[in-house]
Amino acid sequence: MILTDILIDGFFAAVAGIGFGAISDPSLRSFPYIALLAAAGHACRYCLMTLVGINIATASFVGALVIGLGSIWLGKRIHSPMTVLSIPALLPMVPGKFAYNMVFAQLMFLQNMDNPLDRAKYMEMFFSNTMVTCTVIFLLAVGTTLPMFLFPNRAYSLTRHKKQL
Amino acid sequence: MKQEKEPLLQVGVFVAEYAAHMMGCGVHTSRVIRSTKRIGESFGYTVKISVLQRSIILTLLDLETRENYSEVIDIPSLPISFERNSELSALSWETFDEHLSLDTLKEKYRKIVSSPRINPLFVLILVGFANASFCKLFGGDWCSVGIVFSSTIAGLFLRQQMAGKGINHFVIFIASAFVASMCASTSVIFDTTSEIALATSVLYLVPGVPLINGVIDIVEGHVLTGFARLTQAALLIVCIAIGLSFTLLLVKNSLL
Repeated sequence: MILTDILIDGFFAAVAGIGFGAISDPSLRSFPYIALLAAAGHACRYCLMTLVGINIATASFVGALVIGLGSIWLGKRIHSPMTVLSIPALLPMVPGKFAYNMVFAQLMFLQNMDNPLDRAKYMEMFFSNTMVTCTVIFLLAVGTTLPMFLFPNRAYSLTRHKKQL
Repeated sequence: MKQEKEPLLQVGVFVAEYAAHMMGCGVHTSRVIRSTKRIGESFGYTVKISVLQRSIILTLLDLETRENYSEVIDIPSLPISFERNSELSALSWETFDEHLSLDTLKEKYRKIVSSPRINPLFVLILVGFANASFCKLFGGDWCSVGIVFSSTIAGLFLRQQMAGKGINHFVIFIASAFVASMCASTSVIFDTTSEIALATSVLYLVPGVPLINGVIDIVEGHVLTGFARLTQAALLIVCIAIGLSFTLLLVKNSLL
């Protein structure tokens, strides 16, 4: 049962990755790799959050790290820069629900200025959601770029066709 | 094999255009600098380059004759293109490894920058499915998945049409976030996960490329361009929030 859950999670993440990639005009040969990376990253985060019980920020960081390392490894095969594979694969991990709650709480806070109880409630809701959204997005970006600094020589010559000595 | 050097002026003009185009279609700063220097080097010139958000200042230097060529070039605002990112980057390596002549290089460059983008209709369908599966990932039921699919298509179609007419970026984002979330707000009529439908309907607009490129730039020390990119991304996210807020103001009573 757990395995099917993980596979389903990976599948939807792959579809999301392909679609979000399509907005930014990637080459057709990169689609399968984007799908693979998106699925791997998101499924990894899903496992860490549900099976191990790690919080969303750390789990997202690990997921992004998986995507970053994967894109540096797969990028060489199709001679495409890391960011071309990693950015679309990363987008399904954007914490949309928290971002939505952030906007919603802000709006409700402004609407309920006269009622101290509601005001405090929405203030708390706004801050906790903002905290999660910003931390997760920042860690996603750091996690995916880290491999670039760990393996600079490889990362900078992914588009080179000639074999290196 | 020492071939005759291509003229400084022509190489300079080409290199400036190449760098500006790369920067315009969403390549992070250090890659633009590396690729541009690589091309200059393969023609025997040293390139000194300084990249800002809206313009590039570059000088080509011939170390033997001490001649130089300087140019300040505006960065065009092009749609983001991953394909051009990889092709242009690969072109710089090809020039370096195979010592292409300037004419061949120009011809290959023209071919890359004039290649057509993915069919907008195809993008529309793919993004619809993407946002729908996003909704499923957040735990939405099939009814809201369907609603998100159609509202994404409506929003993105509007964005494509408005972008074709050259309307301001921020207006486009506000309008398409509003339309997408408004369509998704039909879910409050049904007994479904309408909050998730509303939340995911606008996520196709998230400017992921400038966000990640901004962080890469900052970490690599190009703090100015990095912050410029992040500011741009933050403004776009604010626009999404504004569009979404209009919808929420209208339907909030049904949500509580």
